[in-house]
Amino acid sequence: MMFFFLFSVSGNASNPEFKKKKNSECLLRLRHEGLLNSCPAGVASCPASSCPFRSPRSPRLKLLESALLLGPRPTAGGMEFSELIRTGRAQAELLRGPGAPPLRGTLCVTGHHLLLSPGPQATSDLWLLLLRSVDSIEKRVAGDSGTITLRCKDLRVLQLDIEGVEATLDIARSIEALSSLESVITSFPFFYRPKGLRLGDAWHFHPPEHYYKRVARETNAWRLSEVNEDFSVCPSYPRAVIVPRAVDDDALARSARFRQGGRFPMLSYHHAPSGTVLLRSSQPLTGPQKRRCAEDEELLRAVLAGARPGARGFIVDTRSAQAAKQARMTGGGTEAKAAYPGWKRLHRPMERGRPLQESFVRLVEACGDLEQSMDRWLSRLEGCRWLAHVKEALSTACLAAQGMEREGACILVHGAEGTDSTLLVTSLAQLILDPLSRTMTGFQELVEREWIQAGHPFQLRCAHSAFSHARPKHEAPTFLLFLDCVWQLGRQFPLSLEFGEGLLLALFEHAYASPFGTFLCNSEKERCLCEVRTRTHSLWSGLNQPKEQRKLRNPLYVLNPLAIWPSVEPQSLRLWQGLFLRWTRPPEPSEAAWEKVWQIVTDKEKTEGSQPTVSASEPQP
Amino acid sequence: MSLLRGLLGMELIGISVRPFLDFQERLTLLGTFFILIDKEVIYICPFNGPIKGRVYITNYRLYLRSLETDSALILDVPLGVISRIEKMGGATSRGENSYGLDITCKDMRNLRFALKQEGHSRRDMFEILTRHAFPLAHSLPIFAFLNEEKFNVDGWMVYNPVEEYRRQGLPNHHWRITFINKCYELCDTYPSLLVVPYRASDEDLRRVATFRSRNRIPVLSWIHPENKTVIVRCSQPLVGMSGKRNKDDEKYLDVIRETNRQISKLTIYDARPNVNAVANKATGGGYESDDAYHNAELFFLDIHNIHVMRESLKKVKDIVYPNVEESHWLSSLESTHWLEHIKLVLTGAIQVADKVSSGKSSVLVHCSDGWDRTAQLTSLAMLMLDSFYRSIEGFEILVQKEWISFGHKFASRIGHGDKNHADADRSPIFLQFIDCVWQMSKQFPTAFEFNEQFLITILDHLYSCRFGTFLYNCESARERQKVTERTVSLWSLINSNKDKFKNPFYTKEINRVLYPVASMRHLELWVNYYIRWNPRIKQQQPNPVEQRYLELLALRDEYIKRLEELQLANSAKLSDPSTSPSSPSQMMPHVQTHF
Repeated sequence: MMFFFLFSVSGNASNPEFKKKKNSECLLRLRHEGLLNSCPAGVASCPASSCPFRSPRSPRLKLLESALLLGPRPTAGGMEFSELIRTGRAQAELLRGPGAPPLRGTLCVTGHHLLLSPGPQATSDLWLLLLRSVDSIEKRVAGDSGTITLRCKDLRVLQLDIEGVEATLDIARSIEALSSLESVITSFPFFYRPKGLRLGDAWHFHPPEHYYKRVARETNAWRLSEVNEDFSVCPSYPRAVIVPRAVDDDALARSARFRQGGRFPMLSYHHAPSGTVLLRSSQPLTGPQKRRCAEDEELLRAVLAGARPGARGFIVDTRSAQAAKQARMTGGGTEAKAAYPGWKRLHRPMERGRPLQESFVRLVEACGDLEQSMDRWLSRLEGCRWLAHVKEALSTACLAAQGMEREGACILVHGAEGTDSTLLVTSLAQLILDPLSRTMTGFQELVEREWIQAGHPFQLRCAHSAFSHARPKHEAPTFLLFLDCVWQLGRQFPLSLEFGEGLLLALFEHAYASPFGTFLCNSEKERCLCEVRTRTHSLWSGLNQPKEQRKLRNPLYVLNPLAIWPSVEPQSLRLWQGLFLRWTRPPEPSEAAWEKVWQIVTDKEKTEGSQPTVSASEPQP
Repeated sequence: MSLLRGLLGMELIGISVRPFLDFQERLTLLGTFFILIDKEVIYICPFNGPIKGRVYITNYRLYLRSLETDSALILDVPLGVISRIEKMGGATSRGENSYGLDITCKDMRNLRFALKQEGHSRRDMFEILTRHAFPLAHSLPIFAFLNEEKFNVDGWMVYNPVEEYRRQGLPNHHWRITFINKCYELCDTYPSLLVVPYRASDEDLRRVATFRSRNRIPVLSWIHPENKTVIVRCSQPLVGMSGKRNKDDEKYLDVIRETNRQISKLTIYDARPNVNAVANKATGGGYESDDAYHNAELFFLDIHNIHVMRESLKKVKDIVYPNVEESHWLSSLESTHWLEHIKLVLTGAIQVADKVSSGKSSVLVHCSDGWDRTAQLTSLAMLMLDSFYRSIEGFEILVQKEWISFGHKFASRIGHGDKNHADADRSPIFLQFIDCVWQMSKQFPTAFEFNEQFLITILDHLYSCRFGTFLYNCESARERQKVTERTVSLWSLINSNKDKFKNPFYTKEINRVLYPVASMRHLELWVNYYIRWNPRIKQQQPNPVEQRYLELLALRDEYIKRLEELQLANSAKLSDPSTSPSSPSQMMPHVQTHF
């Protein structure tokens, strides 16, 4: 139920010093005692932290304690985690909202986690919360006890009733300090070592080279360039990018100097049926002087020439014409008509940044406001404008996809930086057009290629979720908006996506706080500097374990070779209840229903042997 | 062309594609029909603009075939759904398509036809439509009495009250079946067979009847199989301004309470808002007071009356037809209050179900006359409590029992064959109930044996007058008209082709109580019903089965294309003498025999 925040114990710390002899002894013990193998999900260790609790109630806890205490103490910005932990331990009761029974036991703060170990008579196991997932914390004391309300980044609200005023305040301060640490390399993914996964696995699932192989099978007009080998041309691009064959690396470098952040136009998707391409970039730096760049113009000319003779192009600018014009004052701007023959500019203003974050905050507030009279719910929902943003995103993606499929045109998408709404449009357009991107691996590849490697600044955008009281800086729920749009697609085309709501929810959670390294940092360059690939586990290997599949896959999936054109009419778009009302509704019916659909499908599979998903969606005789 | 026809006729992988029958065949689908009109008109489609077509009117339907695009069938409207026919424009009106007919339908759409202005060209169409859409005003029979359709199952056999009560374990020590209303002399709007407490004599029942509006005494609707608590339905007590009391009624409720020994109080749910219940005293009605009924607890459920519901649905139509109010969709939807009413009905039913199931107290439900809101509450609560009613036949029995036999005034609420479109008695109470069922089926996708199509079909034939099922206001009137002998039941149609109405994900579960979430956050507008005439909505395929059909159709189109290419290639090869004779010549006959 807690999904990934409650993962099973199966690993041990491996920060460098941890390999010392005396520790391995203890880890060996952990393994021998069966703790690492036999614990049901719900038990976890936080090996990297210093946990000072002295009288654990179960032998399991005792073991944990010894492992934790023996472990070296990683530092956070020169300070040890232990210095941030005021009080390690207190008696507490945890309320997890409707549907889940309260838990009572010993509460303990460690470097990365909040642990609650239930009393001896309790049947449930350790409860564990990644501190990184705490978005806001509120404390209240009365008499000789206190209450801490934790609002998590996955929109859960937890309440802890703690014995002792001092303990409450100390624990609150500890959580506050530890949950807002900004250092990447002391974050939990660098210490998380789940059993059954090997470091380095799955990091090479979806490199640009892999996608290039597919493009190369379809057309000869594109090549894989390593002009960005050392991230000097564009710090937010990956090392390898797909560019027109006719354009050499020098020209690329010059075009990069003409684009904000060096994000020159590169291939996002090749649509084989129409022979057209989807490109993305950042805005050109035309500035007030209306500068031009021959190489940049040549690049876009080569794109059209490579598609087919006489091909046209559309530049989809995700800003209003007005905003694009104004950007010239600050050095940006937009492509001049005369400079790019064959290309036509279209403006589709999309909300981004602060207003988007505010819309998210308002929506979550409305969803969590259970006291307020519900007569005004629909107008309040409308007032949040979230569904309007969903509509904007989907209709702009439809426009781009339509341009390719129906007009046979090449499409270049950009806004200003080209790292937010641009990616939203290019990734959604691919989902609409490309059946492969609607498969389980195809979608993971899409997220990896079009969001993570494409330089969406996850670290900045997802620093806080909707509850934080901190002054918003760079936060924006662009990725969540993408997931919501995908959910709308899945609702409108219930058989055409191989993955289900479970995967989208998991991606949302992990983007904001995760034991895996996949969503760390803002770009490939930063990930390289932090050695994310070699020192953390990839989310994809975590998700692709067989035991996760039932939660993540869509049992009704059948390959749909057609484009799926979503309706963006207001009555076709719904609030994503599974996410926004996830913790306030009883989860039972929908989860039970999901489980039953699986049963039906797998039963049919057993009895019929072949083509299970096709028959499952038909009425039964 | 022949290739195409072959493919169209072919059944795809065992799925019967929606039949594209020959037009004549389609007309003769019904036993008795005769074409009354066959003339050229312009149909002013609100979505695609004016369409030139031929209109055919039979005594059951109106058809429109396009004269332009492949003579496609554009409209197929049972005359029963027509609520109002108006002439628009006059012989001298100017402007294109300004002269014709404007038809308002009961199923959330309007039809507009333009005709030639010369020679009173609309007169015959207007008159024939009026006669056959409103037969009652012209002393003509309703179409259901002319319909000679035959089905291989008899839907009238679905509901047998004795069997249904036996299924519930009745009669038992506390409840008996009485025939006191055999000839409808106790209560003319109740069924002939009633279940009442064992300890109440027929004489008691007669005395209680004098104190209940329209003699609708409290009788059993459902009994809990384990804790033996019951749902009892009735009409309001005739308390009046003076606050009258009736010892027999008080005693009777106490007898009901005592049939279940687990709790001291009987719970009374008055479906109305408190103020309305008080206001009813002025017209002789009222509610059970604390002083008179010591052992009962009364709660008001705040559900509004039929007039409020009618106006609310009207507002829904305003924002969805013909065009969807796009700019402020959600707040417009909110201002119709439709979902809010749905919420109140569901909330009420949940309270009834919860009281019976967990509260272990018997429940008495009434509103004013006990045939609108009461029917909604008892039937929805029963649907939540008893999984039997969630099967196709079980649901048919539920509708037959709680709605049809207990005198929901279908004739007045729907106005079958009646021309008084503005009649204040009309109200979408049954539609609201079906909407609530749909909301539940959304929240519990595996709990119901039937699918959305089943609910829509029921609603379509609520108006169509093709079947006798929903005709007349009560059982006694139906018996007088010999409805079961002279008409066909809707359940005959449905039960003879059940597959079409089945939910592929249904899993039978005994004894599971469903508590839907009746919060505004979890209720949705039933787009596939209310906005179904909008072609933009039609493109959407939220129903997996329908989507699957459409996907298969698209695949079929692709196969046709591929086969045509293949044939072209083959014929090219055949005409080319240099090709080796072996493969193509062997393939051709194969391809041809296949079709």
